[in-house]
Amino acid sequence: MFEELLEDIAQKNGIREVNTYLKLAVGLGAILLCLLSTSYIPPLFIALLLTAAILILARVDAKTYAELFIVPLWFAVMSVAGIILISGGQEVFWSWDLMPSFSLSITRESINQGVFVFCRVIGGMSAMIFIALTTPMTDIFVVFRQSRIPEVVIDLMMIIYRTIFILMDQVIQIYNAQLMRLGYSTWRESIHSFASLCGAAFIASWDAGEDLIRAMDARCYDGKFALLGENRPVERIPCITVVLFFLLSTLVVIVSGTITLI
Amino acid sequence: MGGIILEARDIRYRYPRGLEAISGISFHIRRKEKIALVGPNGAGKSTLLMMFNGMIRPDSGLMLFDNQPIGYDSVSLRTLRKRVGFVLQNPDRQIIAPTVYQDVAFGPTNLGYSEKEVKASVTTALSHVGLEGFERRPPHHLSGGEKKRVAIAGVLAMDPDVLILDEPTSGLDPSGSEDIMELLDELNHEGKTIIISTHDVELAYPWADRAILILGGKILQEDIPEVAFGNPDYVRRAHLSLPTLLELHMELKNRGFLLQGKKPRTVLDMMQCFETILKKTCRHARPGAITICNVDRDNRELLLLWCSTHPSHSVGAMGTRAKQRAENEQISLDFTYGVIDKCILKALLGEDSLILTTESMVSRVYQRVGAYGRESGISIPVKPLDDGTQPVTENVGSVK
Repeated sequence: MFEELLEDIAQKNGIREVNTYLKLAVGLGAILLCLLSTSYIPPLFIALLLTAAILILARVDAKTYAELFIVPLWFAVMSVAGIILISGGQEVFWSWDLMPSFSLSITRESINQGVFVFCRVIGGMSAMIFIALTTPMTDIFVVFRQSRIPEVVIDLMMIIYRTIFILMDQVIQIYNAQLMRLGYSTWRESIHSFASLCGAAFIASWDAGEDLIRAMDARCYDGKFALLGENRPVERIPCITVVLFFLLSTLVVIVSGTITLI
Repeated sequence: MGGIILEARDIRYRYPRGLEAISGISFHIRRKEKIALVGPNGAGKSTLLMMFNGMIRPDSGLMLFDNQPIGYDSVSLRTLRKRVGFVLQNPDRQIIAPTVYQDVAFGPTNLGYSEKEVKASVTTALSHVGLEGFERRPPHHLSGGEKKRVAIAGVLAMDPDVLILDEPTSGLDPSGSEDIMELLDELNHEGKTIIISTHDVELAYPWADRAILILGGKILQEDIPEVAFGNPDYVRRAHLSLPTLLELHMELKNRGFLLQGKKPRTVLDMMQCFETILKKTCRHARPGAITICNVDRDNRELLLLWCSTHPSHSVGAMGTRAKQRAENEQISLDFTYGVIDKCILKALLGEDSLILTTESMVSRVYQRVGAYGRESGISIPVKPLDDGTQPVTENVGSVK
């Protein structure tokens, strides 16, 4: 229940009460800086700062954070390996002519390129995780409305957000019920069970949809979804911290210039 | 009791391609009544409840609200649904918004209140059910009891005259159920008519003003709970069980004990039965006193003083605000439901007790203790915490 886990952490994180725009600015700004930098150092620096913020300010459990990081990191490692082997360069360290027109080689340029991409991934990842862990969806809805996204879209998103958890609960219950009666003991059996799980989930959600309309009607539904709570005020200390973060990171981007690993 | 607010005249309803769910029901409900619709699964309770706010239209017969026939055009339905609030059995189905605030605000927003009015009504509704500070929480993080409270708050925010609850205690633990029933009592005390459907006889028996037994789409019995649940034959036919107290009373009667007065509805009533049987009173020479602390007043020092001077005495809290106050002051509560009766029982043992309650419920303590005093001839002193010097006796207190 990964999604639920993320949302759970976000609902209880240490900087939940900080203005949503500030948090989004940090996350999106960090991604932008990672993309603008021409050296591998700034993304690492940003990742370090954001990780510190997630662990210390938002008080997220270090183990959970590491688990979140590891899965996408595997993808990064694999694609970086590809980049290093395939892209060519002048100063060749090692090469292997696999086919007449295709060779694998490790060059100075390819290593630099690989490390650069890898660090960018780490920087961007930490920025994304920062948003995910500090800003619950419910707060992002407020931002959506303020940025004039059509009401219909937001209303739909909110209903989906609410029903995902209910549907998920039901799916888990059905799954457990099947598991208890050995529904997934053989391969054939598990295909059959999974099909009936899907069917049951579909019927359950259809039912829930009808009940939803009834519940809305009983409360005089008139096309209006409830107003959202307002955003938290921008406070001085978080604001100064954010400005400092941007100043420091921009400085690192400028100073590091085009420094490469080797 | 006021005038009639809801009335049904020979209503019938058949589900499409199905059995007749309601086959000829007539009854009326008065203002400020507490009604329990009791019956087995599939008796037509939920169908009947859905007719009260126009969700289902009877095939024949007439439904009246406030002595006017219910209209089924969208304008009349809106007015009706604002005045008749409906709480579904499954709070997960009732709660539609991603945060508590938005869900409670749903009704008021659709009624076209201004932003300020919406906020005010949400705040009042949430404080009623004791969920202040839950505004930004998502519903799937709440416990079953809390979800139920959110669902009730969502309906309360529209300030209805009648509150309908389908199985309000299903899926709740016993203490959660008692809490919800007490909340309903509190709301009733503020002038709301409350109709619940349930098959929990033990819960409905002491709570309801009137019980309606339903079986197979018909009314089997409709009377005060002592009578409605008092006929073992009807109770068996309705797939229910006799309330323990009534059964005990009946068995005592069968054994030839002469029992006068009304049938017992509470443990307190039962105690009186025993005392008349045994022809002796187990009570102390001097009954203990009940002190009332009104939590809406600023009396923190007095409260803490009382608690420190009466360390081993019982404290009960009535109403959500009172319970919150006790939590804030870190007072451990001995009673959280049926508080007045339990304090009277303590008083009969010669022990003093304290009741924390809200302004609106203070008079109810006086009434209940006064009524008990008139019945049993024992006067239990009730005094407010604020002036501990002058105990107010039940005679003074019973004057509202």
